[in-house]
This record gives sequence, structure tokens and C-alpha cells, in this order.
Amino acid sequence: MSSRSSKDLLSFTEDLLTRVYEKLGSESDRKSWRLVCREFLRVDSLTRNHLRVLRVEFLQSLPGKYPRLQSLDLSVCPCIDDGTFSLLLNRHASGSESGSLSWFSWARGLKRLTLSRAAGLGFMGLEALVHACPSLESVDVSYCCGFGDREAAALSNAARLRVLKMDKCLNVSDVGLAKIVVRCGKLERLSLKWCMEISDLGVDLLCKKCLDLKFLDISYLKVTNESLRTIATLQKLEVLAMVGCPLVDDVGLQFLENGCPLLQGIDVSRCECVSSSGLISVIKGHGSLRELNASYILSELCTTFLHCIKGLKHLEMIRIDGSRIAEPSFSVISNYCKSLVEIGLCKCVGVTNMGIMQLASGCITLRVLNLTCCGSITDAAISAIAESCRNLVCLKLESCNMITEKSLYQLGSFCSVLEEIDLTDCCGVNDKGLEYMSNCSGLKCLKLGICTNVSDKGLFSIGSNCPKIHELDLYCCSGIGDEGLGALSMGCKNLMKLNLSYCNEITDRGMEYISCLEELSDLEMRGLEKVTGTGLAAIAAGCKRLADLDLKHCVKVNDSGFWALACYAKNLRQINLSYCPISDMALCLVMGNLTRLQDAKLVHLSNVSVDGFELALRACSFRIKKVKLFAPLRFLLSSEILENLHARGCKIRWD
Amino acid sequence: MDLNNRLSGNELQKNLSGQPGFGNFNTQHPQKWEDPSIIDYSMRIEPPFRGFNQVKVGQDGLVNELRPTNKIQEWDPSAMLSSFSFLEQKIHQLRDLVHLIVGRRGQVLGRPDELVTQQQQLITADLTSIIVQLISTAGSLLPYVKSTHSAAPPSMGQFGQLGGAVFPSIPGLNGGIQLQNTSGSKVSNQPNQNDVSANCGSEQNHNNEEHDLKEEEDAEEGENLPPGSYEILQPEKEEILAPHTHFCTICGKGFKRDANLRMHMRGHGDEYKTPAALAKPHKESSSEPTLIKRYSCPCTGCKRNKDHKKFQPLKTILCVKNHYKRTHCDKSYTCSRCNTKRFSVVADLKTHEKHCGKDKWLCSCGTTFSRKDKLFGHIALFQGHTPAIASEETKAQVGPFERREGNQVTNKVGSMNFNFSPNASSESGVQNIMNVKGNIDDPTTYFSPLNFDNLGGFNDFPRPPFDDSESSFGFLLPGSCNYNQKSAADDSNNLA
Repeated sequence: MSSRSSKDLLSFTEDLLTRVYEKLGSESDRKSWRLVCREFLRVDSLTRNHLRVLRVEFLQSLPGKYPRLQSLDLSVCPCIDDGTFSLLLNRHASGSESGSLSWFSWARGLKRLTLSRAAGLGFMGLEALVHACPSLESVDVSYCCGFGDREAAALSNAARLRVLKMDKCLNVSDVGLAKIVVRCGKLERLSLKWCMEISDLGVDLLCKKCLDLKFLDISYLKVTNESLRTIATLQKLEVLAMVGCPLVDDVGLQFLENGCPLLQGIDVSRCECVSSSGLISVIKGHGSLRELNASYILSELCTTFLHCIKGLKHLEMIRIDGSRIAEPSFSVISNYCKSLVEIGLCKCVGVTNMGIMQLASGCITLRVLNLTCCGSITDAAISAIAESCRNLVCLKLESCNMITEKSLYQLGSFCSVLEEIDLTDCCGVNDKGLEYMSNCSGLKCLKLGICTNVSDKGLFSIGSNCPKIHELDLYCCSGIGDEGLGALSMGCKNLMKLNLSYCNEITDRGMEYISCLEELSDLEMRGLEKVTGTGLAAIAAGCKRLADLDLKHCVKVNDSGFWALACYAKNLRQINLSYCPISDMALCLVMGNLTRLQDAKLVHLSNVSVDGFELALRACSFRIKKVKLFAPLRFLLSSEILENLHARGCKIRWD
Repeated sequence: MDLNNRLSGNELQKNLSGQPGFGNFNTQHPQKWEDPSIIDYSMRIEPPFRGFNQVKVGQDGLVNELRPTNKIQEWDPSAMLSSFSFLEQKIHQLRDLVHLIVGRRGQVLGRPDELVTQQQQLITADLTSIIVQLISTAGSLLPYVKSTHSAAPPSMGQFGQLGGAVFPSIPGLNGGIQLQNTSGSKVSNQPNQNDVSANCGSEQNHNNEEHDLKEEEDAEEGENLPPGSYEILQPEKEEILAPHTHFCTICGKGFKRDANLRMHMRGHGDEYKTPAALAKPHKESSSEPTLIKRYSCPCTGCKRNKDHKKFQPLKTILCVKNHYKRTHCDKSYTCSRCNTKRFSVVADLKTHEKHCGKDKWLCSCGTTFSRKDKLFGHIALFQGHTPAIASEETKAQVGPFERREGNQVTNKVGSMNFNFSPNASSESGVQNIMNVKGNIDDPTTYFSPLNFDNLGGFNDFPRPPFDDSESSFGFLLPGSCNYNQKSAADDSNNLA
């Protein structure tokens, strides 16, 4: 923080403090702020407008402390069900008479509600919640797989709703959608991805009732051209995502040619029946198109299509993954699409050095480039990109085997703002290369999976020069040892996501280094055969924020490690214990004690008996949302526990 | 009259000599049917209703039935007298014949059944002719004969012939069975009668299924025939409500269509299987030009009645029947799924039941739609209307069934009955009995256990309506009946 003394800071007025507070970027910084003094805490309380509740216990008291609360995120909170809300709402309803208006004061101002994966929530709870929050404008109920029409009907009471995300609400049908569109006529953004029950009728009604729609996602729906005919009547639509609509073909896209005058972005990737002619008609009608995703539908980038592309002066993003692309095409794109910011060429056939060099010469504003699986490009191409596209932020080079440290040298020298680079499976990447790479001090995400030539030395350079890194993937980097992790833990204090799977040299000492990473929330350490219970205990005790832990095939970890996990890893939300030698007792403890645990993979636990599973599931049945179990257990576990799990919206995957 | 004479005299002899004489009878049938006269037609249909009633009223003997008709006689007494004398004579003959059979029974004890059946048939035929005569006699008394406008009022004889050709059967069969039993007691008579009428009921339903509902009365709405270019026929109410118009002369089974009767006749012997017997009776109208026939509803004041200012004629007799039932009759067929929709035409009920429940698309305004797209069209049109969520209702309805399914066998039977649309045959079967017994004050006497056993014997006999099950079914099938009531209660709870 600041070097001033606390006395000086305290002399600041509240509005000044507020302005300082608003500059804080990360959650951990805000936490530090809150811990400074009461005054700072008060500023935090008064200023804060977003709250992400981690534990259901806090839901009772926490929101009431923030009078300006506008956004509540319950997506990672366990036990979000009807009972919780009925308790909460009733308690506060009765309490309101005695002067405590806390619930209503914050609920009334609430505008955004994230209920993603709140599978236990039913229509009654939802209805009560929506009723209590009259100014609700944005709701996210994605991945609530059990949500159906009644839940949709409950949601439809939020008449001011403008943004609604209901991806994978599998049981919502046209009827539910009709409820929403009729009552929430002001909808501007709607995502219906994977709502498999919705058909043309629902989309048709949507387009007749919600005329303000700007964003619509109908990906993977079984809708036909008829839907596109009505979608074309939406005068304000700006972005249409229709990934993987197998029944839509070029005729459907032709409707869009003369409709949706404000269309700026369209995603037709993986629509099997769409070809370039359909795309051409869309492009012809919309010269101001900014984003075009035509992945996996074009077998070849034909000349007429390219001719049309020429007309898109404002095109910022184009993805043509999986197409065959001829060299001259690149010069067309680079000559005409001057404002391109992102190009996706993943798995494209025909991407050559020459082509990329032509592209680089024209598209100097490029920020995101995806060259995944373009195996024939070499250092020459990357050098050209590095030299001309100085603003490059994200570069994906997975499986580009011809890349060597020379490319990384160029990138490190010229692309100073590079934040994300994917070098997975690039066997040309070595320690020297990483040293060059570390010149990009702003690097946030580095993926080095299966780069077997990387060793501790390379990690030293990363650790010492890239303090901002928060995601590091070292999957199968068998050259990595404890020392490299030591360097990482010293330098990359912001590391949140780390993959160490199958780095076989890592021992308990390496784990102890890792345990110094306080921000670490996501750790994958599959198949670390030298790590024992001591290492796991260190992680559990040190990484307080750990939420997602994968221990599959950690065969040496004994119960002492799991006991420690059960005691300390209080924030653990997701765990994979498959093939671990965990005992009955430890499993019960882990499952019962970790009050945020919502997702567990528990297959091939050779030391756990059926009773052990039964008890463990009983211990967590009220909050677990997803569990993977060994298939024969289906018949061995009591039906009572299975029914109980099912009733609470828990999804069981039998393996 | 001559027909009846032949039936009684000639055929009796033929039969006695071992020859089935029904071929004659049958061959005459089509000719009569084709008679173009209006009144003939209405007369043909009309009498059986009377017939039914009379048979019921006078259970103890056919002769008794003559008396009430005699009393109210006011039309062509001489013709009536002659017909009575014929009847008397005929009954005497029949009695003699039966005496003869009774006497012979001892002798032919060891003989095969052929003779017995022949005798049976013989008696049936005789009885048939008696009843036909009776009916035609009664029919001649009907008041509408006076009012009907017609160029050529037919003679009594014609009535008799036509009636005989068309309506020989139900009472005939009854009598046959009765005599076969030789006891002739009332006790055995009742169940038999019920049996037959139930048969009729179910038969009617089968026929109805075959019927083309498309022949709606509205179908010819656009037709604009100048008045006078067609002749108007106005069947009487009783005729409209009569279940059948074609009856088997041998077994008395009734049919709605002549073709069905011909098909049925094949079962009675090879002589009915000849192409000639099976052929569609030719219309001889080709030789003499006939006026287009249009029909009038017998209800005065109805738009379809010929006296109405804006009279719109009905095209076919079926149109009349459907119109009359739909417009002027009680809607006695209730859908057993929704228990709300009521119909007066069985076929309408059937059509409804095909769609009832399974795809109800309900709007928040209460309007229901059979198709989802129609509902969505409605919602798109009207501001603020939303679809009612069907899942709640259906779940509530389906729920109990699912729960019960695992319970007991009896329950299962019950639930099956409940789930499957109680095909209207049941209801109409019962319904028909009710109709037939309409003049009996206490219907429960007829719903004796025996009756219901009989009815239950039908393959397609489903769940009876709730009212009946409460009164007389309760002790018979305790399990299923309780179940029925329970589920009804459940239903109402759920709906409430």
C-alpha cells in the first residue's frame, strides 16, 4: 500500500478514501484494506457493491452490511436451496417489524444476481427471492440443470430483467421461455445455450415480445431456419451466437441478410449445414460486422467469401478454425481488414510462414492470435508477428513444433504487453527460451504443458521476472523439480492456478514451497508419486484459498495428509481423490468437514468400503452438487442416500 | 301385409320341412330399403322405439301389448282390426308350433342340435313378423302421419312391409331366447333382455367409430339450393334416436349400415356369401329421376327445421341425427378423463378423448388449445397472456398413478381402467340400458349383479361411470371400485 503513515491516511476525508479504495484491483488488496482499521472497513462497507458469498452461514448477515450492494454472487456458495431462502426471507420479514430492515434494504437495491449452479434452488425459493429483489436487472441461472418451466415462471416475476443467462437449464421448454419473454419484455441480453427443450416456437415468441434484444445466444438448440426468420426481425440485435445449430442452413442465414440492421457479431461455428454461401449473404447485408466466428464450417476459404471479407472494414475478430486456407487469402485479409484485433486459425490447414508474414505486415493492431496446431510455421513467422504486432496480448502456439527459443527471443524483445502465451506441446521450448520469454514481465498466463525440455532453470527466470503470473501450466514437464517450485513460490506470489501433474520429480519439499503461495486456488497435482501426506498437509495448511484440488493417482499420500486437508482446506470446493489410498475415516472427515465442498470425484478408492462411501456421502449430502462414483456402487449404496442426493439436485456420475 | 303373411304362412311350412326360408325374407329387404318415399323412410325408423317400449312394458306376453294400442286407436280402425286379427292368428300358429316342439323334444332327445336351431330360427322369424306387424300397427297411430305433407301417403300395408323389413330383430331375439329356455319366466327374461340391449349398445359404438364425423351438419352450410328443388324429409325424434336401422333377421343383431349387416350375414350360412347377397343393393332410382333429398330437424324453431324463416336443410340422415343429438339432446356422455367436457354424440366424445389430457395447452386466460403452436400464436397475439405451466397439473395427476402402480393387483386393474380412456362403448352400453328401461322407475333393479357380470364379460367393457359404481358396483368389485372413488377424490383434490 502506501508508504505514508496511517495517521496521514486517517486524515483523508471519506470521499477521498473512497476514491482510493476504488482504485484497488484485486480482491486480496481489498482484503488488506479492510484489515487496516475500522475507518477503512467502513469505507469498504459503504463503497462495496459486489458480494460473492462463499458460505451459506454468511448469507444471513453479510449482505446487510453493504448498503450499496448491487450484485450478489451465490454461484460458489453451497446449500443454496429453497430452505435457505425461506429461512432468510421469513426471518427478516418477521424481524423487520422490530426495526431490522437489513434484508430488505439490501435486497431492494440488488440489480445483479448470480445463481449459477445453484441446482438445489427450486421455483418457490426463486420466487421468494425475485419477489424480495424488485429492482433485479440481471440474473444468471446457468448450469442449474434441473431448472424447468416453473423456475422460469418464478424468474419471470422480475419484470425489470434486462440480462438473463440460462445456459444449460435443461428442462426449460418453450412454455417457460414464453413466461419470461411475456413478462420481461425489456430483455436485452439472453443466453439460451443448451436449453435443449426450446424450439422454434419459443424463439419465435421471444422475437415477437422482446424487441429490445441486443444479444441472443441460441447455441446448440434444435431450432430451424424458421427461428432465424423471426430473429431477423429483431431491429436492435447486435450479437447472435448460434454455435452448433445442426438444423440451420444457408437458407436461414439468408434471412439475416436483410434483417437485424444493427448486427455486429455472429457466431455460426459448428453449424454443420451452414456453408460459405450462407455466410456470404450475412456479410453482404451487414458491412459493419465486427465479429465473425465461422469455425469448423468452412472446408475451404473460397474466393467469393474472401471477396466479401474485403468489404468488412470494421471487422475486428475473425475465427475460421478448421478451414483450409490458401496463401493468397492472408494478403487479402491483411490488406483489407485493417482493424483486425483477433484472428483464430486453430487447426487450419495451409497456414504457412509466408501467409503469417503477410498477415503480420497488414494487421499491426492484432492483439490475439491463435495458431494452435498450425504445425508448419517456424521462427520466421513468429519473428514477423513479434516485430509488427507490438500490441500482441495473447498468442496460442500449441503443438507448433518448429518453434524454438529464437521465436521466444523475438517475442520477449518486442511484445512487451504479452500477457498470455500457450506453448503446450512445443518441444522446441527450453530454459533459454523461457529466459527470453521472461522479458515479458506482464505475463499472466503461461502454458508449458509437455515441454519436456524445460527444467528448474527456466522456472528461475520466470519466477524472478514475471511476478504477475497467475496461471502456470507445467503438465508433464518431467524436467521440473523442487528447486524450480521454490523459485516460483518466491517470485510469483500471485499464482492462482498451477498444474503440476505428472512432474514426477516433485517431492514434499516442492509442496512446501508451493504452500507459500497464498493466492493459489486451483492446484492440479496428478500422479505425483513422490509426494506424501506431509506435502499435502503443507499445502492444506499454507494455501488458504485453495478451492480446487486434483490428487488423482497421488498414491503415496496417506491419511495424515487427508486429515490435514479436512482440517485446514476450508475453502475447498472441488476435489479429485481418485486412485488415492484414502481410508474410510479420512474420506468421511474430508467430505464432512469441508463445508464448501461441492464437487468430488471418488472413483477407485481401494481402501474405502461401501459403508465408508455411504457415511461420507451422508456427511456431505446436503451441500454436494456433483459427485463421481464407481459404477457398481450404484447397487451397493442405500437407495435412501441416493434419493437424498438426487432430491437436493446433486448430479451423480457413475464411472 | 302380404310380406307378413308370407312370413307367417309360407315360411313356417318351409321351415318345418327343413329349409331355411330366410333367404326370401332377406332378398326383399333391399328393395324395401330403397323405397324413395319420404314417409316410408321416417316410418321405417320410427316404429322400433315404440316396439322397444312395448316389449318392456309387457314383459309377460306379446298379446298383452296389443291392448294399450287398441285403446288409443284413432286411425284407420278397419286396417288396425285386420292387422290384429292377423296377429292373433299368427300367435296361435306360433303357440301351436312351440307345443309341437315341446312335444317332440322327448323323441328327438338324442338327435343333433341342428333341429333345435332350426326350430329356434323358425320361432324367431315368426316372432319377428309378429312384432313387425305390431310395430307397423302402432306406427300407423302416430300423429305425424297426418301432418306430413306428401304427394302420396302410403298404405298401411306399405308401412307394415317396410317395418318388417327393417325392424325385425331385437324383440325377436329376445323372444327366441325366451322360448328356447322354454321356461318363459320373467326372471330369466330380464337378464337376457339386458344382455341384448347391452349388445346393441356396444354394437352401436362400433358402428359409430366407423362413421365419418366429417359429415357434419355444417358441411353443407354453403349449399344454396332453391326452395322446391329438393324434397324435405323430416324424421321423427324417435327415429333419430333409434340406435340401429338394419337388423339381422336371424339373430336380431342391429346395425347402422346395410353393408355391415351384409358382412354379418355371411356368418349365418353360405347362401349369404354369394356375390349377389353381398352386393350393394342397386339403386333403381336411375330409371326414374328423383328429387334431391334434404332433411329437416323435427324441432320447431330450430334453424334446421323446415318451418324456420332461414331454413337450412341438412344433407343426410346422419347429419340430422348428429344435429339433433348435438343441439336438442342432453350431453350425456362425459369425458372420463377431464370429467368436464360433455357430449351428446358418442363419436364426438371419442374424438375428444383422443386429444383430452395428453396435449392440453392452456393459456393463463383459461383458453385451451390442442396444439402448442396455436397456444403460442394466441400468446403472441394477446398482450400479457402467458402459457399456464402444464407440468404442475399433469404431475399432480400423473403422480398418484405412479405411486399406486406398485401397490396391488386390484389397484392396478383399477388404474388401468382409469388411465385408458374409458371407451365410450361402456358408457353408451349402460346408457342404452338406461334408455331402454327409461320408463322403469327404479333403475337399480335392473343393475342386478347378474347383469353386471354379463356386462363385465365383454372384452372391451371398461370402468362404469362413477354414479353407477357407487350405487350398484360397490359390493361387486370392492377393490377397483374403492379405487375409483379414491382416485376421483384425489383428482378433485389435485385440481382444487
